[in-house]
Amino acid sequence: MSWGEFWFVLAGCVLAMWACRVIPLFLLKGRELPPRLAEALGFIPPAAFAALVANDLLNPGMFDAGLWPAGIPLVAAVASALVAVKTRSLLWTALAGVAVYAALAFFAV
Amino acid sequence: MAVMFSREHILSAFSAAVPIMLGYVAIGLPCGILGNTIGLNWLQVALFSILLYSGAGQFMIPNMFLAGSGVASITASVALVNTRQMLYAASFAPECASTPKWLAALFAASVTDESYGVNTARFAEGNWSVDRALMVNLFSQTSWTLSNIVGCLVGAAVDIPVAIAAFAMTAIFICLLVTQRFTSANIIAMVVAMLGVYLCKAAGLTGPAILIGAVAGVAAAILFTTLRKRPASPEGEGRR
Repeated sequence: MSWGEFWFVLAGCVLAMWACRVIPLFLLKGRELPPRLAEALGFIPPAAFAALVANDLLNPGMFDAGLWPAGIPLVAAVASALVAVKTRSLLWTALAGVAVYAALAFFAV
Repeated sequence: MAVMFSREHILSAFSAAVPIMLGYVAIGLPCGILGNTIGLNWLQVALFSILLYSGAGQFMIPNMFLAGSGVASITASVALVNTRQMLYAASFAPECASTPKWLAALFAASVTDESYGVNTARFAEGNWSVDRALMVNLFSQTSWTLSNIVGCLVGAAVDIPVAIAAFAMTAIFICLLVTQRFTSANIIAMVVAMLGVYLCKAAGLTGPAILIGAVAGVAAAILFTTLRKRPASPEGEGRR
């Protein structure tokens, strides 16, 4: 990536990111949140994290070449979820997920 | 009014940030390595980490560049994926209502998926404040930036399979998901969001899939609670 391309991507992404991160807060700031809006905002975390997990794990046609090794991320995800329920720890979940993924990938070769 | 940025606040923010910081070492290193493979130097990787500060975005940029995408298409896709940050920032509005503007702006500018999850949980428990939340963000960002720089510098020397290392980020999202409260409305939000992402991808809308899926999930949950509440609270409320 050239310096010209780098500055283009950096400036574009950063401006869009700051607009998304900072503007909504100041549009809402100082105003009492209506209870219905507060309830709606409460749905953001489950929806957003479900979308992020689905984005990482699900791809149309992912099993076109067979169930394995395409199923490795899904099995690792189930293991991560079990560890997450048991420990409620981001760190342990991340370590367990990567370990299971690496072990399965190692044996799949 | 409690003293902001007190020693006690710094320590409690640090202990809340430790899991994120360690997670960011695990995903920051491969992210820096990936940056190195498209010819970014440590300074460029640092600028991305400090100014953009987006795990998903900083993984997308080298991946799309390697796949031959143009800079305009890369920028638009990253911007679209990051529009979900709007939802996060908006959800902190009540906590930031009585906070100085500079503090609220700095906090909002450094929110990520992971720190959002941690800070939301702490605010819900009570005894949390925007200064501590900001420090959680800054500790996390420091770890992210340093890990990216190290990854970029050692990039050529080591051979870590990026797909395995990148799964650390997926596992973090899974933990944040399963620690949500599983009310029926939340479950509807989750299922519809996942379905939405899948359908977007099937339709070729890979860039905005996360945003569209998440918004669809929120909309479905609102619809569900509206329909459920109707018999209990007749028109009266709507007219106020």
